[in-house]
Amino acid sequence: MHRTLLAAAAALALGVGPALAQQKLGFTSFGGAYQEAQRKALLEPVAKELGITWVEDTLTGIAEVRAQVRAGAVSWDIVDLGLADCAAAQSEGLLEPLDYSLISTEGFDKMAFDTHWIGIIYYSTVLGYSTEKYKDKKPRGWKDFWDVEGFPGARSLRDYPTPNLEIALLVDGVPKDQIYRVLATEEGIARAFEKLDAIKPHITVWWKSGAQSAQLAKDGEVDMLSIWNGRLDTVIKDGAKAAYSYDDGILSLDCLAIVKGSKNKDLAMKALARMVAPDLQANMPLYINYGPTTAKAFETGKITPEMARISPSSPENAAKQLVIDARFWAANRQKLQERWDSWKTR
Amino acid sequence: MERRGPVGIRFEAVSKLYGAHAALDRVSLEVEPGEFLTLLGPSGSGKTTLLMVLAGFTRPTSGRVLVGERDVTRLPPHQRDFGVVFQSYALFPHMTVAQNVAYPLRMRGRPRAEIARRVEEALALVRLDGMGERRPDQLSGGQRQRVALARAIVFEPRVLLMDEPLSALDKKLREAMQIEIRRLHERLGITTLYVTHDQREALTLSDRVAVIEGGRIRQLDPPRLLYEQPRSRFVAEFVGEATLLPIARVGGGLAWRGRPVRTTRPVPETDPLFLVLRPERLELSPAAAAHGAEANRFEGILEDLVFQGESRLAEVRLEDGTMLAVRLPAGPRGESLALARGAPVLVTVAPEDAVLVGELP
Amino acid sequence: MNPVPTAPEAVPALAPAAAEETAAALARDARRERRAALALALPALLLVGLVALLPTLWLFGLSLVEGESLSLAHYRRLIEEESYRRIFWTTFEIAAVVTLLAAVLGYPLAYWLSRLSEPWAGLGLVLVLVPFWTSLLVRTYAWLVLLQRRGLVNQWLLALGLIEEPLRLVHNWTGTVIGMLHILLPFLVLPTYASLKAIDPAYPAAAASLGASPVKAFWTVLFPLSLPGLLAGCLLVFVLALGFYVTPAILGGGRVLMVAMKVQENAGLYLDWGAASALAVVLLLATLVIFALLARLVPIERLLVGRS
Repeated sequence: MHRTLLAAAAALALGVGPALAQQKLGFTSFGGAYQEAQRKALLEPVAKELGITWVEDTLTGIAEVRAQVRAGAVSWDIVDLGLADCAAAQSEGLLEPLDYSLISTEGFDKMAFDTHWIGIIYYSTVLGYSTEKYKDKKPRGWKDFWDVEGFPGARSLRDYPTPNLEIALLVDGVPKDQIYRVLATEEGIARAFEKLDAIKPHITVWWKSGAQSAQLAKDGEVDMLSIWNGRLDTVIKDGAKAAYSYDDGILSLDCLAIVKGSKNKDLAMKALARMVAPDLQANMPLYINYGPTTAKAFETGKITPEMARISPSSPENAAKQLVIDARFWAANRQKLQERWDSWKTR
Repeated sequence: MERRGPVGIRFEAVSKLYGAHAALDRVSLEVEPGEFLTLLGPSGSGKTTLLMVLAGFTRPTSGRVLVGERDVTRLPPHQRDFGVVFQSYALFPHMTVAQNVAYPLRMRGRPRAEIARRVEEALALVRLDGMGERRPDQLSGGQRQRVALARAIVFEPRVLLMDEPLSALDKKLREAMQIEIRRLHERLGITTLYVTHDQREALTLSDRVAVIEGGRIRQLDPPRLLYEQPRSRFVAEFVGEATLLPIARVGGGLAWRGRPVRTTRPVPETDPLFLVLRPERLELSPAAAAHGAEANRFEGILEDLVFQGESRLAEVRLEDGTMLAVRLPAGPRGESLALARGAPVLVTVAPEDAVLVGELP
Repeated sequence: MNPVPTAPEAVPALAPAAAEETAAALARDARRERRAALALALPALLLVGLVALLPTLWLFGLSLVEGESLSLAHYRRLIEEESYRRIFWTTFEIAAVVTLLAAVLGYPLAYWLSRLSEPWAGLGLVLVLVPFWTSLLVRTYAWLVLLQRRGLVNQWLLALGLIEEPLRLVHNWTGTVIGMLHILLPFLVLPTYASLKAIDPAYPAAAASLGASPVKAFWTVLFPLSLPGLLAGCLLVFVLALGFYVTPAILGGGRVLMVAMKVQENAGLYLDWGAASALAVVLLLATLVIFALLARLVPIERLLVGRS
């Protein structure tokens, strides 16, 4: 104890004080391999540039952000949220508006940012399958997922309406750019559920969490499933006999936002602007296979052609996929969830 | 069910070992048909174990048990057809009195009408008419006891076993129940084995009493003989009140601390030897009345004289410090004896009342 | 010298004033004792009120608010939306099945344990309790590992040639029931064991002496006397099962939707505290109704104490 104090006093006396006086900034994300990749790709360079210290934390979703804001006890600054949560948090007034005079959106899809949030990674919900089960004829696209005769085997889908309604409409022949137009109508929603009726008896597991879907693929509990590409990459790296393609993939994103009432709002804005910049975003694929949200990242030279080939958001792969509409889900989530539960318990 | 005559019971060298400890040590005992036999002994003597062996709840280590001519040693309890009255009564708390009494008949599949009739009869027999609909917890201790009895006899068992059935009752109720049990036994003539540690109860109820100690039967006799002719120091002390004085053989005769002791009764040939002095068989007189060196005279100091209603009890300290109890009639005869505490007194016993016993046989 | 007989009134009576004073003082003492007892219980009463009663009332209040105004909308939705009816039905069905299976499996276990002599009975009880000492999550995942398509159970059954295709043991109703049964079984075994253990061994002995075979003695005497313990256990299991969340979420494969899962979804995901509260209130009321019905069959305090 005394020794620490002495050392601190000595350090001050010697003029190495600024290290102790560094400003702290909070970053809260989903933990695990994902947050570790963010630490190396984004946090460490920003810390060096701005001379700040990160205070990291983890969360599971919007509920914790909501609790902090409602209680007036905000201890986080920058948070990472899932797509639907980003939109919901914005409409609930849980976020600070972003200052786009500091933040560049060059190379961003117009769906990938809003007044209070901006995308930080793209991930894709892809059709993953067992290469053991499907040796010769491989499923390509969701139509094959629905083809229980041609591709017999145990199947799993996510236990949420999103992105299953989009998938169902794709299978039913709706073109990608028409999906949300169709879903905006009552008939369109009924059409999606009708298509889901056909596959429902063949679904062994409705998965709830990304970890669960990875476990299902790893244990061979199912032969074919919808799964986030990063999760499946990890499983394949661990030796599971599985594969996927980006055909018919559903692109979704995680966003960064600043919690309303953040005590370091201005500094957070500066840090956030750097984190979404192409040169730092281009670091991400080095550590985890999630895609940058700006196409500019692919022009920095950091991302090799091999990496781009498997990246969910490389221009080539992005073209084959559907981008999820966060605003649609923020507006319709609860209503469609009720309907989903009702449909599923029937 | 036709009436069957009473049966006898025979234990042949029955032993029950718990590890190295023998709860029963080669017990042989014969109970006559229709007899009321009591197993009397202190706790841990093996009396309940013997009863439980007969009832079939305890498996003996060796030996045989016969009821009539039948070997029942390995027969499960529910096939033995014995009425058992437990110390705790074991009345089923979830059944009414009538259901409790009907239970053995139901188990035997008797017709409903017969059950109703016999339950009524049995309840009348134990003077509980009209109590059939009550629950056991609504009854007094004595009433529960009578229900237990009714339940044990309603199916006319060949043998009735009772394990300290009165120990939970107060003294007055106990005495009333003793008379009732006696009356029932006379009426039914059922072979009965009764376990108690209360020597008085044993003497009151039984045709014969078996005194058990250390897993063995120490004496088996009718009550009067047991009381008047105990065959060992243990029985003399356990049955009734008694003070024992160590006796030495002197020449051809007997003596206590040099004073001659005479008896008209048989003298055991074993040593050590004890003189059994029953309080009510002793005479007390002022020491002044003493004369000569006659036999069976014990000098002492009157320590206390306690009024006990029907009698008075004198505590006399003998010269060696032994306290000797002498019972004096409380009537005019006793009152006439004017004695003060601390007075020297003389205690005498008639030679025909001087019982001599040895240690355990 | 003859003693003079004494009449009872020879004892001098207390002066009226002194008698009143004494009586008043005695009454004061009695009041003080009652106050002391209340003072001792007060912290517990406050705590129960604060941590149990108040939140329940708060919950009830929330369920009646829609937006900014009082409304029965949340309850109306529970009645009108078919999915809620089905979720309640699933919840009660699973709770009932788990309770029944727990009774069928747990009673013989409790009976067997109650027959064991020390130290085996103690050891047996400890083994029954072991599951309590591991996390519910760990146990639930363990079942997932055991029961899945390529899990141990299926591997053994396949190896033994008992089945051709792996059985669907998990990610469904069956898996949920198995997992819940495992977690809840001790809650049935313990009160049943206590109740069996409290039965005077003289009762079965008396039944045997009266001519009852072991089977008959069991059904006519031992079983009825142990019933309060068994019912207490059943009630515990049933009520706990109604509120299960983790186990059906993990082992149900998304096909088993129970009320608690829906509550979490409403409160956690959509911030719809009103809807979540309404669900919780209905579940609470339904549980209370069942409790009340049971209380008519068995005196409630006997049930809770679990003694014969």
